[in-house]
Amino acid sequence: MNLNDCHNFSDFRKLAKKKLPSPIFHYIDGGADDESTLRRNTESFNDCDLVPNILASVGKPNLLTTVLGKKIDMPIFLSPTAMQRLYHHDGDKASARAAEKFGTFYSMSTMANNSIEEIANISSGPKLFQLYVHKDNSITDDLIDRCRVSKFDGMCLTVDTLVAGNREKDHRTGFTTPPKLTLQSLMSFALHPQWVFNYFTHGKFEMSNVKNKTDKGTNISKSVIEYINEQYDPAMSWKDAEYCVKKWNGPFALKGVMAVEDAKKAIDIGCTAIMVSNHGGRQLDGSRSPFDQVSAIRDAVGDKLEIILDGGVRRGTHVLKALAAGATACSFGRMFLFSLAAGGQKGVERLLQNMHDEINRNMILMGCKNLKELNNSKLIYRK
Amino acid sequence: MNLNDCHNFSDFRKLAEKKLPSPIFHYIDGAADDETTYDRNTSSFNDVDLVPNVLRGVENVDLSTTIFGKKLDLPFYLAPTALQRLFHYDGERAVGKAAQKFNTMFGVSALATVSVEEIASLVDTPKMFQFYFHKDRGLNDSCLERAKAAKFDVMALTVDTITGGNRERDLRTGFTSPPKLTPSSLFSFATKPMWGINYLTKGKFELPHLQDYVKEGTDTNTSIGQYFSTMLDQSMNWKDAEKLCSQWGGHFALKGIMSVEDAKRAVDIGCTGIMVSNHGGRQLDGSRAPFDQLAEIVDAVGDKLDVICEGGFQRGTHMLKALSLGAKACSGGRLYLYALAAGGQAGVERAIEKYKAELVRDMKLMGCTKISDLNRDNLRFRK
Repeated sequence: MNLNDCHNFSDFRKLAKKKLPSPIFHYIDGGADDESTLRRNTESFNDCDLVPNILASVGKPNLLTTVLGKKIDMPIFLSPTAMQRLYHHDGDKASARAAEKFGTFYSMSTMANNSIEEIANISSGPKLFQLYVHKDNSITDDLIDRCRVSKFDGMCLTVDTLVAGNREKDHRTGFTTPPKLTLQSLMSFALHPQWVFNYFTHGKFEMSNVKNKTDKGTNISKSVIEYINEQYDPAMSWKDAEYCVKKWNGPFALKGVMAVEDAKKAIDIGCTAIMVSNHGGRQLDGSRSPFDQVSAIRDAVGDKLEIILDGGVRRGTHVLKALAAGATACSFGRMFLFSLAAGGQKGVERLLQNMHDEINRNMILMGCKNLKELNNSKLIYRK
Repeated sequence: MNLNDCHNFSDFRKLAEKKLPSPIFHYIDGAADDETTYDRNTSSFNDVDLVPNVLRGVENVDLSTTIFGKKLDLPFYLAPTALQRLFHYDGERAVGKAAQKFNTMFGVSALATVSVEEIASLVDTPKMFQFYFHKDRGLNDSCLERAKAAKFDVMALTVDTITGGNRERDLRTGFTSPPKLTPSSLFSFATKPMWGINYLTKGKFELPHLQDYVKEGTDTNTSIGQYFSTMLDQSMNWKDAEKLCSQWGGHFALKGIMSVEDAKRAVDIGCTGIMVSNHGGRQLDGSRAPFDQLAEIVDAVGDKLDVICEGGFQRGTHMLKALSLGAKACSGGRLYLYALAAGGQAGVERAIEKYKAELVRDMKLMGCTKISDLNRDNLRFRK
């Protein structure tokens, strides 16, 4: 199996599973507790059906949209995800370059293995930074300042990760970062010599954005869980979020909003957008899926807020349903991480090409010339 | 596999299966008829989603709740279950001490294998006695008086077990109490020698609350279904319950209420609480799940007595859902019985610790710092 055999999410996932040591694969693949929210994120799209219109002389559909003040070529982008160098030795460089090629957002996590400056140097495409509020305020301030200097286009603040989710697969595989060799995991690393070779020969593994401020996660083996619980501030409030919005003074999103009243508050503190997300089912299991919740939020906020649906998207038709239900655009993490693991930059490009083609094809089949034509009338919910 | 590998309900269950002779494991694990109610008890939680609120500052979470006038540090307690020394040689002693350590309540069954007097000498945190209404009034009076003398805090009258449920696994495995060696079970007992050694060397198996009055289950092998069907008084009515309630003179609950009408009558006869329960799906198969029925009952009587939701809980998020609907507390039997079998007191403590950690984490992710912050706005039912 190679990249040319990857036609959809499950193909990329399969190839990633072949290429990655199992603790790392399961870190991507897993969710919290019983993973019921993880499953629901995708299943929820199946509770409604698309209703096409025919003979609409569609021609070539226009997939352009605007997110966080930036025109992007299609209504999807890459969600911020941590530690991409674990999945491929090119890490964020690969995903940033791939996104630029397709004219859409690449997003950088606070816990990326490349620095803000490094990525700004290699990509002039749209860039979003994902901020975590650390207990040490100076870390937060420093990150915002550096993003401004490096001309990142948007900032998003993660609000659903005050405490790490219960990712039981990580307990079992002993996943830490940097990867720690345990008896359990040794076998799995030994079976993936290519990954190990690349990991050790392509530069040091570090949390480039926070390495001067904390040594956690950089030179000692820590589980991500411990990092989150030690470094992130669980007392974070609306005031703190407002502070970040003002300090950034540009397009700003809250990532992880689910409640309608929280979406309204996001408008009040000056946000441009929210990412309706449950962190890919990795945090609160049993929480609502983004697609189940998106239309209620759109009804409440009208056109005062961009809504990014983050989570569960596997197909072009999922994107169409999300947009018809009220989303401005969709983003995904797990899906592109599998493509990154499967083939680095080429893998991510192949995935984005596939998704582009699916969205394009399905727009034609729906009889829609542009994304604005996608609205509630195109959906019928099953009882 | 050992206790350290147990991270959740299903891990404890797996380890219990390894440690117990199969008739005993299946006595815990099984339920009535086709076990549809047993399955529904847990799957009912998946028909509703949690909707978290963000940015509320959630550094410190208080899980305490007050039921039957007693403040517990946790919003769940260990429901009374019979025959615990079959599952681990310490039986009720282990469970009681574990509950005491976390300052939560636990229940002692009339069919317990350790006496109320001994429990009272070991545990001074809140205790509940689970009463079965026997034909033998002398036995009934003795149970009541002994529990009162031992200063138990709550009396719970079981009202859903007027006859034994059809537990077909027990028919197949030949489960009786005390365990009887039959050709079919011999192999299973022989392959778990540790269980056999402990059972035979750690003190005589007895039912101290019954032994002066009945032979069944104490020195003749009887199936639990047979016991209920022959010994309990099937003519028990509301008058009998009312009489017991006033005879007890303290906090009194009916265990196994499902209909709104009965919940109202419980108020009328002076109960201070009810357990919405179907006896863990072990009695009437096809009956409604506690969580499915909870809202109606809370709406009708929630301000007049403590409504406990009992059954199906396997996760902290399940408890959050029940508490959001208005339950004062959650309880369960299998919740800790597998853990008891897996590791005695240490096992039960590990299980409680796991659920507690889940609750703290999930409360933070929900944006809640105390149990009273939970309400129905936190929930969305799927269509």
